[in-house]
Amino acid sequence: MSEFLLEVKNLKKYFDTPKGKLHAVDDVSFSIKEGKTLGLVGESGCGKSTAGRVILRLLEATNGEIFYKGKNIRELKKNKMRELRKEMQIIFQDPFSSLDPRMTVSEIIEEPIKLNKIINDKEKRFERVLELMDLVGLSRRLMNTYPHELDGGRRQRIGIARALSLDTKFIVCDEPVSALDVSIQAQILNLMKELQQKLGLTYIFITHDLSVVNHFSDDIAVMYLGKLIEKAPAEELFSNPIHPYTKALLSAIPRPTLDRKVDKIILKGEITSPINPKDNCRFANRCNYVQDICKQTEPEFKEISPGHFSACHVFSDHLSGEFE
Amino acid sequence: MRNKVLEIKNLKIRYVTDDGIVEAVNGIDMLIEKGRTLGLVGETGAGKTTTAMSILRLIPDPPGEIISGDIILDNIKLLEISENEMETIRGRLVSMIFQDPMTALNPSICVGEQISEAISIHQDVTKEGAKEKAREMLEIVGIPGSRMEEYPHQFSGGMKQRVIIAIALSCSPKLLIADEPTTALDVTIQAQVLELMKELKEKLEMSMLMITHDLGVVAEVCDDVAIMYAGRIVEQGNLEEIFKYTKHPYTEGLFNSIPNIDDRKAELIPIRGLMSDPYNLPDGCSFCDRCDYALDICQTEKPKKIYFSGTHFSECHLYSGNSDFQLNCGKK
Repeated sequence: MSEFLLEVKNLKKYFDTPKGKLHAVDDVSFSIKEGKTLGLVGESGCGKSTAGRVILRLLEATNGEIFYKGKNIRELKKNKMRELRKEMQIIFQDPFSSLDPRMTVSEIIEEPIKLNKIINDKEKRFERVLELMDLVGLSRRLMNTYPHELDGGRRQRIGIARALSLDTKFIVCDEPVSALDVSIQAQILNLMKELQQKLGLTYIFITHDLSVVNHFSDDIAVMYLGKLIEKAPAEELFSNPIHPYTKALLSAIPRPTLDRKVDKIILKGEITSPINPKDNCRFANRCNYVQDICKQTEPEFKEISPGHFSACHVFSDHLSGEFE
Repeated sequence: MRNKVLEIKNLKIRYVTDDGIVEAVNGIDMLIEKGRTLGLVGETGAGKTTTAMSILRLIPDPPGEIISGDIILDNIKLLEISENEMETIRGRLVSMIFQDPMTALNPSICVGEQISEAISIHQDVTKEGAKEKAREMLEIVGIPGSRMEEYPHQFSGGMKQRVIIAIALSCSPKLLIADEPTTALDVTIQAQVLELMKELKEKLEMSMLMITHDLGVVAEVCDDVAIMYAGRIVEQGNLEEIFKYTKHPYTEGLFNSIPNIDDRKAELIPIRGLMSDPYNLPDGCSFCDRCDYALDICQTEKPKKIYFSGTHFSECHLYSGNSDFQLNCGKK
C-alpha cells in the first residue's frame, strides 16, 4: 500500500462546448498523505473546483487515474463507489444554496446517516446528530430551526457536520470560508483545523485566498488554466516561489500592514480561454519573462528541488528562482 | 482652511419592516477632505452600504428612513434639496461603483452607449461629443476604444469593472463612492483595478469613500480609516493610527482574525459570537457581548467618543478616565 491516501495521476477533464474542447483540468498529478492538507489555489476558471469534483467522481474524468488508499476509484462500480463516498466528502462554498431550505438542521445532519443506513435505530441516530452538533459547535437548541434562520457561519457548520456524519476520512473543501466575514471565517478555519487533528482528516482545500491557504495547508498546488504550474510545501512556496505566475499571485495579495516588504508585480492582461488551448506555456501571453521557447512548447512539470515542482521554461534551471 | 468635500453629521437611518425596526445607522459623523480616501470597514450588516446609499439619497423609502442628520457635499445640504436637484448631483458631483460588475451594467446596451449616457445627461455636449468623450474614458481605464460597440457579456469581470469605473468617472465627480469594488475579482485582476483607481484618483483630484471588509485593500489605497460596527463608527483615524495604535477591541479583533501571510504558524483569534441583532440593539455598547475587555459599564451605557489625537478617536469605555489603556493584542 502506498504512503499516500490519495494519488492523482494525469487527471484530465474536458468539456464539450460549441466552440470546441474546454480543457478544465489538463494532465494534473499530485498526491496527499493521510492527515495532511493540500491547498489548491488559482483564479476563477482555472479548474480547481472541477478538479475537486472529478476526484470525488461527482464529475467523470476524461482521462487519468485516481488512487484512494491504493485503489483506482475510477474503475469502481456504482455501488462500490457509493460505499466509498462514506469516507470521501465535500464541503461547498455557498452555505446559502447547499442546504435544503425545507429541512430542519437536525434533519439535514441526519439525512446521510439515514440514507447510508449507518445507524438504523431512530433514537441512537438522533443522539449521533446531537453529538455532531456539539462537535462543530452548533448549539443544541438550533436543532429544529431552518437554514434561512441562521447566519452564514452557522450554516457552514451544518455543512461540516453533514460531511462528518459518516465514516469520513477525506474532505474536499471547496472555498469553505469565502462567503463569510473575516471574524466568522477565523472561527470556521479554527474549527476545521481542530477537527482535522481530532479525527485525523485529510483535506483538499480549494481556495483563491492565498493568505487562508498559507495558514491552513501543508502543501500548496497552484493551478493556471487547467494546468498545475507549481507545487511545494507551503513555507517553501511562499518563501521561494519559482513560477512567474505564482510570484505575481503572491505579490498581488493586499496585505493588512503598513510595512510592506514585497513589491507588487502587476500582470498584464487576463486569463485566456481554456477552449482548445495551444501546446505552449498557457501563461506565456501574460508573463513578464516570456521567451521564444515559451510560445512554442509546453514546459514540463518537474521537480526542481526536493518536493518543489514547477512548470516553467525560464526558471526551472535557476534553483533560487532569481532571474535578472 | 481645509477643503471639505463630504461632511456627514449625526446621521441616523432605520428600516421599518413588518418584523420590527432595524437601526442600520445610529448617529455617525464623517469628514472627507479633498483628494483623500476614507476606508469604511466593517462586517456584513454593519451599515456601510446604507451609509453610502444615503449620500446618493438612494435609500429605498419605504422601508428606509433617514431620521436625522446632515449630509453636506461640496457645500450643498443634500437632505434639504429637491429630488430634481439631486438628480443633477448624482453622477456629476458624486458617483458610485458597485461590488458586482456582472449585474451593474445593462446587458442589452453596448458599453460605449452606457458611458455616453452619463455624459450627455450632465454635460452640454452633442451626441457625437458624448461619444468621443466616452471613447476617451474607455481608453483612460485601459480598454481600447475600438471595443465601444461591444456588449457587457463580451468583457471579463475585471474589464466590466473598468467600464463601470469609466462611467463613474465620466463627469469627473468630486467624490467617488466605491462599494467593495474588487471583492468579486481575482487577486491579480484586483491588483490591476486598485492600481488604476489610485492612479485616476490622483489624476482627477477626487476624493474617495472606499467601502470594504478587506484590511489589506485599506492598507493599499486609503489615507484614513473608519471602522463601523452595528451602525456606529467605533474607531476612526489615519492609516497609521488604526494599524499601529489600534484602540478599539473590535478593530483589534478584526486584525487578529486575518491569517498572517508572513507568519503561517500564527494562531487565528476569532471574535467570538455574532454581531448583535439589529432589530434589538443592546442599551450599552453594541460590541460588549463579544468583547474580552468588557466592563460593567459597557452593559448599560453607550460609550462616547474619546480622542487620542486630532484625527484618531474610539468609542470605548476602556479609555474613559484612562486614555493610556493598552489592548493586549488578544494574548490572554
